[in-house]
Amino acid sequence: MTARHIRAITVGVAWILFIASCLRAQQSNPTEYQVKAAYLYNFGRFVEWPAKTASAGDLFSICVLGDDPFGVTLDKTIAGENINGKKAVVKRIARPQDAVHCHILFISSTEESRLKEILAALDGTSVLTVSDIPQFTRRGGMIQFVMEANRVRFEVNLTTAERDGLTLSSQLLKVAVNVRRSPQPGG
Amino acid sequence: MLGVRNYSIATKLTVVNMLVSGAALVIACLVFVAYDLISFRQSMVYNLSIQAQMAGSNSVSPLLFNDPQAAENTLSALRAARSVVSAGIYTLDGRPFATYWRDGLDQPLTPPQVPAGKTELHWFKDGQLALVRSIVFQGKPTGIVYIRSDLRDMTLRLQRYAGIAAMVLVASLLAALLVASMFQRAVAQPIVHLAQTARIVSRDKNYAMRATPTGKRDEPDVLIGAFNEMLEQIQERDSALRKAHDELEQNVQERTAQLAASNKELEAFSYSVSHDLRAPLRGIDGFSLALLEDYADRLDDEGKIHLQRIRAATQRMGLLIDDLLNLSRMTRAEIRKEVVNLSALAHSVAEVVQETLPERRIEFRIEDRLEARVDPNLMRVVLENLLGNACKFTSKRASACIEFGKTHCNGSSAYFVRDNGAGFDPAYANRLFGAFQRFHGTSEFPGTGIGLATVQRIIHRHGGKIWAEGAVEKGAVFYFTL
Repeated sequence: MTARHIRAITVGVAWILFIASCLRAQQSNPTEYQVKAAYLYNFGRFVEWPAKTASAGDLFSICVLGDDPFGVTLDKTIAGENINGKKAVVKRIARPQDAVHCHILFISSTEESRLKEILAALDGTSVLTVSDIPQFTRRGGMIQFVMEANRVRFEVNLTTAERDGLTLSSQLLKVAVNVRRSPQPGG
Repeated sequence: MLGVRNYSIATKLTVVNMLVSGAALVIACLVFVAYDLISFRQSMVYNLSIQAQMAGSNSVSPLLFNDPQAAENTLSALRAARSVVSAGIYTLDGRPFATYWRDGLDQPLTPPQVPAGKTELHWFKDGQLALVRSIVFQGKPTGIVYIRSDLRDMTLRLQRYAGIAAMVLVASLLAALLVASMFQRAVAQPIVHLAQTARIVSRDKNYAMRATPTGKRDEPDVLIGAFNEMLEQIQERDSALRKAHDELEQNVQERTAQLAASNKELEAFSYSVSHDLRAPLRGIDGFSLALLEDYADRLDDEGKIHLQRIRAATQRMGLLIDDLLNLSRMTRAEIRKEVVNLSALAHSVAEVVQETLPERRIEFRIEDRLEARVDPNLMRVVLENLLGNACKFTSKRASACIEFGKTHCNGSSAYFVRDNGAGFDPAYANRLFGAFQRFHGTSEFPGTGIGLATVQRIIHRHGGKIWAEGAVEKGAVFYFTL
């Protein structure tokens, strides 16, 4: 084996390692909204809806209210998936009144200004509300995405969720960064 | 068998007993241990599988919501299971998500792929049990749990088993020893006793010994009975034999005494006859001489010749009587054996013989260095007779040759005296040694016929044999052993 051979092999190995590390980086670093889309889908798997919502219809609706930050990512994520035996679908809605038939409602940060109105519209329904909006759980939302050390995590307002008849799995609460048990008065 | 050949039957029985029970126990223990280890391994796999399932299902939400810390908290619950060495949660594409190490090590482990269609895979390797299981949540594979356990529990169990087995083995062997000793008392003891008795009987020739019966009507008892019966028969036969022997001995003694008495009587008779015969003979001879000397002028020539004949006959009879007395003396004389140089003795006898026959030219060939333990006086008589005879019967030869030597004959050594004289008819070879046996006329070869009888008597009394070979006019050989 000559020195030229060794050099050729070394260069080849280096290329392979480089390409592999590129692929790996691509794999291990999904975008923030790819992660959030997956979380939305997974929330559906760890939450139980009250019987009247659970039995109504044969679609599991994940709604996005306001400007859609996901693009096609959310559709890709839930394409072909079932939640609680129902086909998961994405609905993009503009009015809070349209959200009453949703299972999960993602409230875009563009809607922050009318958050109170939106939450009031959903009062008495069993819709799991999720949002990026700061202080969302303090302000009557149920699950709020938070960024922690460059990782997407979430807070839960358990009292709100339970008031609306939703049961959050302990497994879900286990991985929540913070679980609130009582809403801020007037929040 | 296993080097116990020389031990007693009791020891053999005990050893066999111990071996049998020991072997059975060892096999039983091995089978039990093997069975238990197999089922223990199965239960280990089952337990590890349950732990993997629990760790897996508790890691679903951490996996889905990317919370490795929560997964590690879940895994750290495995600390309660002391045998779990390491555990890991991996994402579907095989990246490590959370790990647990019992001993604080933290090495990355790559789990093998769970084959499609299976949810779990386990294997034993390097003293560890490894198990990999895919985590399935609501029908969808979510991750992989990989858990490794050491076999410390199994080793402990094995050690405990070995201890118990050793104790059981020792206890059982002791029990077997106890049983064997009881068994030995029942079966081996009578046989050992019988063997001891037999040994004593054959060593001391004491046929009055008896083995003690067991009184149980079993085979050893039959054996002992038969043995005792045999001893009894031997004793009976012995006493019958002794009786017959004693009777025979008595008979022999009686006969010997009778024989000795009659022999003595005969000897005394012949001695006295010989002795007493000499007196009248001397009278006849003396008075014949007186007649010849004092009355010669009154006797004619024929009368003188008659008187001469009377005297010759009387003298011959005197010689005869002398020889007879000699023979009888030889018979009675005590033998005093010593080492005698036969060659020197033969030379001296030959010299004497030659001196008495100065006109004869006789060649003696006497072998050197012949020695024997004999009575020298009796041996001289033997040689005088044999050499004298040889001279006598070679008197017709121009050159006489007489040999004395030693030869080998029928495997033993024999002495011989050979001459080239008149010889004898082989048909009469056996009668040569009888008293008064003569094969030649007195005028041809003078003699009384007593000499060879005397020689035979002496040789017999030395425990030897004498025999002769020869042919008419071809010389004679006399052989004798000592």
